[in-house]
Amino acid sequence: MRILQRLLMMVVIIWIAASINFLMPRLSDRNPVEEMIAASMGESGGTMEGIEEAVADFERRFGMDRPLWVQYANTVYDAMTFDLGISISYFPDRVSTLVLQALPWTMGVMLTTTLLAFVIGTPLGALTVWPRAPKWVNAVVPIVMILAAIPFYLIGLILIYVFASRLSWLPTGKGYASGLLPDWSWTFAQSVLTHAVLPAMSILLASIGIWALSMRGMMVTVQGEDYMVFAKAKGLKGSRRFWRYGVRNAIAPQVTALVLTLANVVTGAVLVERVFSYPGLGSLLYQAILLNDYYLIFGCVYMLVLTVGFSLMVLDLVYPLIDPRIRTSVTD
Amino acid sequence: MANADYQGAIEDWGTSARRWRTVSAYLKRNPSLVVGAILLLILAAVAIGGQAFIDYRDAAPLSNRPSRPPGADYPLGTDKFGRDLLAILVYGTFLTGKVGLVAGFLGVVIGAVLGFLAGFFRGITDTLISLFTDVLLTIPPLLVLVVIATNIPGKLDTDQMAIIISLLAWRQPTRQIRAQVLIMREAGYVKTAHLGGTSRLGIVFKELMPNLIPYLMASFVLAVATAMLASVGLEALGLGPQNEPTLGMTIYWVMLEGAFTTGLWWWWSTPLIALITLFVGLYLVSAGLDELANPRTRRRGA
Amino acid sequence: MKDGGVMKGLSVTDLRVEFYTDDGIVKAVDGVDFTVRPGVRTGFVGESGSGKTTTALALMGMIEPPGRVVSGQADLDGLDILSLTEEEFRQQRLATVSYIPQGAMNSLNPVARIETQILDGMADHGHHLRGSEAADRVAELLAQVDLPPNVGRMYPHELSGGMKQRACIAISIALGPRLLIADEPTSALDVITQRRVMETLGKVQETIGSSLILIGHDMGLMAQFVDEMMVMRDGKVVEHGDVADIFGSPEHAYTRQLIDAVPSLQRKPAAAPISSPRQDRPTDTPLLELDNVGKTYRKGRSRIEALKPLSFRLDGNKPRVIAVVGQSGSGKTTLGSLVLGFETVTQGTVRFDGENILRPGKDATSRFRREVQAIFQDPYASYNPFYKVDHVLSVPLRNFGVARGREEALGHMVEACHSVGLEPAQTIHRYAHQMSGGQRQRLMVGRAIMLKPRLLVADEPVSMVDASLRSIILGNLATMKAELGASVIYITHDLATAYEVADYVLVLHKGRVVEAGVPETVIGDPRHPYTKLLVDSIPWPDPNRHWGAGGTLDEEFAAVAQADLSEPTIIRDEVAGFQLGQGWTG
Repeated sequence: MRILQRLLMMVVIIWIAASINFLMPRLSDRNPVEEMIAASMGESGGTMEGIEEAVADFERRFGMDRPLWVQYANTVYDAMTFDLGISISYFPDRVSTLVLQALPWTMGVMLTTTLLAFVIGTPLGALTVWPRAPKWVNAVVPIVMILAAIPFYLIGLILIYVFASRLSWLPTGKGYASGLLPDWSWTFAQSVLTHAVLPAMSILLASIGIWALSMRGMMVTVQGEDYMVFAKAKGLKGSRRFWRYGVRNAIAPQVTALVLTLANVVTGAVLVERVFSYPGLGSLLYQAILLNDYYLIFGCVYMLVLTVGFSLMVLDLVYPLIDPRIRTSVTD
Repeated sequence: MANADYQGAIEDWGTSARRWRTVSAYLKRNPSLVVGAILLLILAAVAIGGQAFIDYRDAAPLSNRPSRPPGADYPLGTDKFGRDLLAILVYGTFLTGKVGLVAGFLGVVIGAVLGFLAGFFRGITDTLISLFTDVLLTIPPLLVLVVIATNIPGKLDTDQMAIIISLLAWRQPTRQIRAQVLIMREAGYVKTAHLGGTSRLGIVFKELMPNLIPYLMASFVLAVATAMLASVGLEALGLGPQNEPTLGMTIYWVMLEGAFTTGLWWWWSTPLIALITLFVGLYLVSAGLDELANPRTRRRGA
Repeated sequence: MKDGGVMKGLSVTDLRVEFYTDDGIVKAVDGVDFTVRPGVRTGFVGESGSGKTTTALALMGMIEPPGRVVSGQADLDGLDILSLTEEEFRQQRLATVSYIPQGAMNSLNPVARIETQILDGMADHGHHLRGSEAADRVAELLAQVDLPPNVGRMYPHELSGGMKQRACIAISIALGPRLLIADEPTSALDVITQRRVMETLGKVQETIGSSLILIGHDMGLMAQFVDEMMVMRDGKVVEHGDVADIFGSPEHAYTRQLIDAVPSLQRKPAAAPISSPRQDRPTDTPLLELDNVGKTYRKGRSRIEALKPLSFRLDGNKPRVIAVVGQSGSGKTTLGSLVLGFETVTQGTVRFDGENILRPGKDATSRFRREVQAIFQDPYASYNPFYKVDHVLSVPLRNFGVARGREEALGHMVEACHSVGLEPAQTIHRYAHQMSGGQRQRLMVGRAIMLKPRLLVADEPVSMVDASLRSIILGNLATMKAELGASVIYITHDLATAYEVADYVLVLHKGRVVEAGVPETVIGDPRHPYTKLLVDSIPWPDPNRHWGAGGTLDEEFAAVAQADLSEPTIIRDEVAGFQLGQGWTG
């Protein structure tokens, strides 16, 4: 029942996204096909003669000469049938190929760091209001909380300056060293890892505090509950009270937030990937936007909507396990 | 019960001196609000006061000698294109602040109205508003902004930028205000006011609104912070106003020109420090307001 | 039962607990000595702030900063528990000293099954049970508190309040402690559930043979349950002795005061002076008239009949206190909300002064608002946290045009404070959270007195305040009736207080009036099985009058179920100025 609702919602969102994607470029005065052909002609040294014909030819291929409502119906139909079409800017690559190529880079860095930040930040936040927390917690937490106020990419800039530019310990950007070809060798893996350190660090530093802060708020509430007093009166060990009674009860909103964050991981990545010229979905999206490649833009959006929808579905399934009291609504 | 504020004479009941003493006593207990406000005031002083001394034209390219380090002529140096970084600090902070305040204000006003309608009237009004907000909430904001920003015909200016950002800035306030109104309308004091002969409209404005103010302020600060984050982000991607010296735009040029490797440390450190002060200030104020709105967290650190 | 150790019971000497606050040191427990003999039930009685709970927490090693145990020994069967380190104390909790918490509603971890919450406590004391062994032990413990074994697999939210509290008892006795401390274990429960929980607790204590300390402020509960009683005030022991002796001849004035604060059938207060009818407008129009009023809630597809059609007429020329008595879910609060116009009737009409309150004439609206006031259960929620408490006084003064200008308003407010014994200078500049629950409720009563209403709806006004204040507030209600000529609809779950203040009692059960009459008849000689059950469950402050005179709980429940099917409303007495009826249309 719940799943069905979610699916319906996803269809609606994809439909809205498809509509916006259809509408926006047609409202603007730029012609991407013309720009693309002009650019490629410029590169190959060809003349501007015959560009009109070339454009017309291309537009036929993309179906742009048909009546608007047919184009709209096609767009929506394709969207619903998982047909993402062909990229304009990377012609003749299929959008799905490009998206699937970029996906592992983004997921590798963003997913790992988001989860890591969650795993570190959540207990840290809980410890700030735990009476018997180690001393270092109160020294560390204010720092990570202030860092949480600063956007990822600004921290990224500082990290580049310190570790790449001044100390030269790590590369400034890109997914792997430029001389290498992607393969399963140790050298390549090493290159990928060293290139991932700074982007990962910037996300970690900026987001641990976010998790710590929200967890602290929840933990304060939980600390005041009667069951925490009873847990102590039962003579439970401190660790059990902290994890099973405290954190366990405070964590439900955190998990919701985690899922929503994971769902939005790609857009969060755009600027970080841009700062580090990282070859992920964010960079791809950025390229697509600059070149006005709406098929590619839509491909990325599509991916996002799928991630969001899928994440929410997972949340629906997981939530009853986290909180036995809630069997129905989740995101409220 | 720690403070002795409630003690004392009865003669000054309802006077303004009594009210002011209450406010100042509270501020002492909320340092994060005070520190954050001081940071923001310093920035505001620089951005507004500085305009009296610094010419806007100095922030334009080719207006000064390029790549000068900080010194007597240029206290903060100039960038590769001859922009005076002090002028960028003044006008960039001003423009970024303007976009954030305008977008945040629009967002909170729209959000407060929608949230209040949904929470107070419930029923079909609530269902429609909530559904609409929820659907839009699942759409990543930066993405929509990027799509819109790239497709705006002609050159963007900061006012248009503010309006584009406010198109999405109302979603969170709507949710927050709605949730709060839903709780508050059931509160016991609404009944007391009813019994005291207060009208329906009076209950909204005299009983509910004052309690909403901390939430509205917190929402506003949050909306401003989110709006600034979005605007600086768009600018840093090169999608902002091309002809105005915003802080985000400066970051865009820093990244494009690789200012880190060229040794022009003053080029990137000025906008970076301004932005960090701005975001940390907003964060502290918002944390302080949160405490005001949510007295439960006052027990923190116990 | 535990082996080893000599059974000497608990002996506490010179216990002192201090709290370090901004206002200085508060001596919460100030040199307390007492003994609790093995197998004996001792009651710690006192009002909030008397130190009774702090004493118990000290015995649990659970005084948190800014509090500190300054001195004292607590010898439990040869072990001085106050000299233990934190970790040593932890091992003693549950194993030797067990705690049954207040607030049964929230004392269980909401995300863990009951069996988990039984077993984790045992595991942290070295008893790791698994598989069928664990299941057997859980079932055994649940059986001891009369819960079926499948409760072990349930989560707290699936249990009723009484069941949760019994589950807490099962948890606390898992390791057979030598001392059980029950901290107001039934404070949130109605009298019938309270009786069941206390019966369970008593049985369990006898089974495991432990000593028991019952903390509370309800002298009635003490009389019914404990062997010895220790009265505390301001951190000191006022009186300690056998419960029958203390009730028979209390030595200390404070103890007498506490006993007198509890309403009792033996001591019905002298009938209030028949006050002269209000002179302003003697009339034939009844003050309040309920004409076949009913309320049905719809929840999804199911319909819940919160209040079945009810008619009565309160003429108002002769002020009356009408008590509406029932458990939660009986429809009593719904009735109050309907009279106040906070909820709309789904059938029938509520008329105030002849006008339908839902469709009143122009000046009838403001007259209705002005002349009908209310006091609610939770005094804290009644105050807007944005304003200081003067707001609740000044707003109606202004809205109703009672006072012109600041001076006159202040005068009325001072008077309101004085009428309920509050010091104005220490009251009106406070926020509600700076006052105690009792002060908040007294000010609400003062507000009602200040506005001189003709009808007052008092919905559980004393269920959240201390016993001594209880009688003061009830006295204020009587004053309103006697001196201001106000009629009162007194809504309560507590038959005893109804007995004290009411002229007429309606017993509500499942939305229906099951029995009505003057308090002496209804409470002194109940006829309907449900009323009998309620009366039987009142903890009378008399060690010689025991719970369950009318049979065991199970027998009484069966009788009520039978009566629900067939028994009509039992109406016995008449009282001038109030008629219970079958609907009017005039």
